[in-house]
Amino acid sequence: MSALRAGAHRVASARRLSDEWRAHGLAARPADRPAAEAAVAALYRLIDAPAPDFVWAPSPTAALALVHDDPRTFPPVRFRSPNLPRRPGDWPVAARLANLVQSQRRSLDRALGRTESWHYEWQRLDTIAEQALNAGVPVPRIVDMVVRDALNTTLRNCVRAPMRAELTPTTGGTDGMTWYGQHDAHWIGHYDVHARLGLAAYRRPDAELLALLAELARSTGWWWPGEGRCVMAERPTEIHTEPLPGALNGERRLHRDEGPAVRFADDTQIHVLHGTHVPTWVTTDPTVERVHAERNVEVRRSAIERIGWDTYIAQAGLRRIAAAGDPGNPGSALHLYDVPPGLWRRPARLLLVVNGSVEPDGSHRRYGLSVPAYFTDPVAAAGWTYGLSGEHYARLVRRT
Amino acid sequence: MTMPVPVSTATTLADLTRRSGLDVLDHLEREVAIPVVDGLQAQGDLIVVPYAFVARAVNPLTTMWQEVPAEGVELLRSAAGGNPHTLVADPGTCRWTREIRDTMGLALGMIETSAVAYLIHPEHGGTGIAPGRYVVRRQRERDTERVGRFGNLGDRMIAD
Repeated sequence: MSALRAGAHRVASARRLSDEWRAHGLAARPADRPAAEAAVAALYRLIDAPAPDFVWAPSPTAALALVHDDPRTFPPVRFRSPNLPRRPGDWPVAARLANLVQSQRRSLDRALGRTESWHYEWQRLDTIAEQALNAGVPVPRIVDMVVRDALNTTLRNCVRAPMRAELTPTTGGTDGMTWYGQHDAHWIGHYDVHARLGLAAYRRPDAELLALLAELARSTGWWWPGEGRCVMAERPTEIHTEPLPGALNGERRLHRDEGPAVRFADDTQIHVLHGTHVPTWVTTDPTVERVHAERNVEVRRSAIERIGWDTYIAQAGLRRIAAAGDPGNPGSALHLYDVPPGLWRRPARLLLVVNGSVEPDGSHRRYGLSVPAYFTDPVAAAGWTYGLSGEHYARLVRRT
Repeated sequence: MTMPVPVSTATTLADLTRRSGLDVLDHLEREVAIPVVDGLQAQGDLIVVPYAFVARAVNPLTTMWQEVPAEGVELLRSAAGGNPHTLVADPGTCRWTREIRDTMGLALGMIETSAVAYLIHPEHGGTGIAPGRYVVRRQRERDTERVGRFGNLGDRMIAD
């Protein structure tokens, strides 16, 4: 078999394995509790800790309530010198586990040849894998693109990030250290696939630890290791996704129009529209008043799209005072609207702008930005949003 | 001005992926033709500004620039933590610093690149930055709720 055909075979296998790991990351079925508990108990053994008791919660929200209520089992894991434990054995279980996995990952990276001096062939990012192969890009780099990069986009950026934003409070007590089970599949899958394709051989202890982590990614949701007790969260009961625009390697993002994109058994919900994490009101009851009280531009856009741009403009009483072509964004216009007094708490105008990149259905997203009330020229107003004069903004070459 | 791109014409990635089968293969023979721009360009709520445009407003506060590492530099993520804008470049060709003064308070950093660098975003795709010195700024809007304490404040960064 020629080197090229061997490479093509490996790339095809990488795609299949990447699909498998993505499916684990997006799995919405009950956890395999015996498998997950056995893997966690084995991890505890590796740090010389006795197997913990297990408490299962229907969602990460419910699990975090248990964690926050029990600071003795889940002590803080971030130390400053006054409260630094004296002996390594005195560190909390969560910290010791994290140290173990961190040093394992360094060791796995060395086995993959990913040291400080590793140079990526990054120009070929966003290339079709089979074409990159014909162009002479090394197989390991293509496998990275198809597996690591694609899973990272789907599971870390498009699924885990909005879930974290919704489920983990930004204030309050420590949450110990969160392990993400199925939503760690992006980095676990990366190491697993390189080994399964024969592109790397790991030291035996590293391979055994990786197998435990892979078992957890295949069998459970998020989990929190504590002293003598481990809180485990069930996987969601529903996860709804759609392909990411322009995806070459099966990347997906959360999306659901008619309800939550992610739901757990206790009805914990996460609402996401075409990848944009939104408050529940955007899907259930979007109104002009709520749009105007909202600071997040993507949330406003999503809500206005639910209402319909024309209906929104009419209901808000916006009056268009000028329009101009958007420099660098062929075929798109900038519209400047007068906003009725009292709609906002200070005078301002609304600039309607159009995204440079295309959605899967061929449409372009539109955004409403508030700008100072003194602008009469949409181009000058658009320049202001970037701290530039209208003359400078008019020289925009390209918008994506 | 859009610079010539190796092998293919300035066909965009989005165009390419909308096409099917052989058509795509023909256009992707060796490289994906991501347009390379040596002027002002925007990617969503980020803008790449040639330094000459803003030389009076923006100054580096350090001589210690950092090389853009192999895995790239994440310039900005969305509020929900996804969708990073990532700067990537061939090792040794591009350096950058966040330590700058911007009278507008919008700059995220300054880039100095001797070869083409790329700004990559999962939803906006990729765009090339021609060799040169640039300032990367965020986008702002008027805060519609309150006037700042010092009159000229009361703007807010675009949150997405």
